Amino acid sequence: MRLPRLGCRRSVKFNVTPLIDVVFLLIIFFLVSSHLAQQETQLELALPSAASGRETDDSPAERVTINVLADGQLLLGSEKVVAREISRRLRVEREETSDELEVRIRADRKTAYRHVEPLLLACAQARIWNVSFAVIEKE
Amino acid sequence: MRIPHSSTLQRDFSVSMTPMIDVVFLLLIFFVCTASFQIAESILPSPLALSGAISAELPPELTETELERVLITILQRDNELILTVNAQNCASLARLSELLVALSNIDATLPVLLDIDGDTPLDPVIDVYDRCRLASFRKIHFAAEVRQ
Repeated sequence: MRLPRLGCRRSVKFNVTPLIDVVFLLIIFFLVSSHLAQQETQLELALPSAASGRETDDSPAERVTINVLADGQLLLGSEKVVAREISRRLRVEREETSDELEVRIRADRKTAYRHVEPLLLACAQARIWNVSFAVIEKE
Repeated sequence: MRIPHSSTLQRDFSVSMTPMIDVVFLLLIFFVCTASFQIAESILPSPLALSGAISAELPPELTETELERVLITILQRDNELILTVNAQNCASLARLSELLVALSNIDATLPVLLDIDGDTPLDPVIDVYDRCRLASFRKIHFAAEVRQ
């Protein structure tokens, strides 16, 4: 009987395909999860439209975003607040921030102006001049 | 010398579809997931005051050189937008744009003051503000009532 020799070498090849698959899946997972996390911070609102709006800049400047719902409810982040509270918070933020503070107002297009006016006043009283409205591009 | 027959050189050229489908499927998932179905937002800068300008507690006093100003009142009653420019009725937003462009051509440094009724929805307010910006006005202010 002829026995197979021990010297019979098998080719040991490293298959990289599953490794690439897994790495690729991980990349997609982290990309998608970070993307969704970013979207979660933005409350869905029917924003007013404007033709002269400019693209949002992702500058590292400190920014406070105030959401105003159609019924006039104010949200600082995801927390419901009243106008007086916003005024106080803005002052504190202004004192704590060394750089120029930016306030972005994301208000529903149906919001009555009387709900937005106190925000502008609060910004002015807190000596925050850099205020902007979030809009969508007019078609 | 024995020359190898050409047919013996033929290798198995069957294309394996599995890795290609894997990659295509992954790419498909990647683009579907990362595509944002949200409408891109832009910003409408509305600086409350220019640097070195008036204090917020005080009403916007006009300097001697700014005695002329454009006062636009915006009011909405029964879904009808009522606009006035320096106390003159303005029939439509298109007419307002024409007026603003004409005024801007005379002097774009004129301050524009927006006096807005509290019940007016934000959409026409932003629209008017936008038209002022498009007409190249640089100083556009919101009038606000300070309650003590």
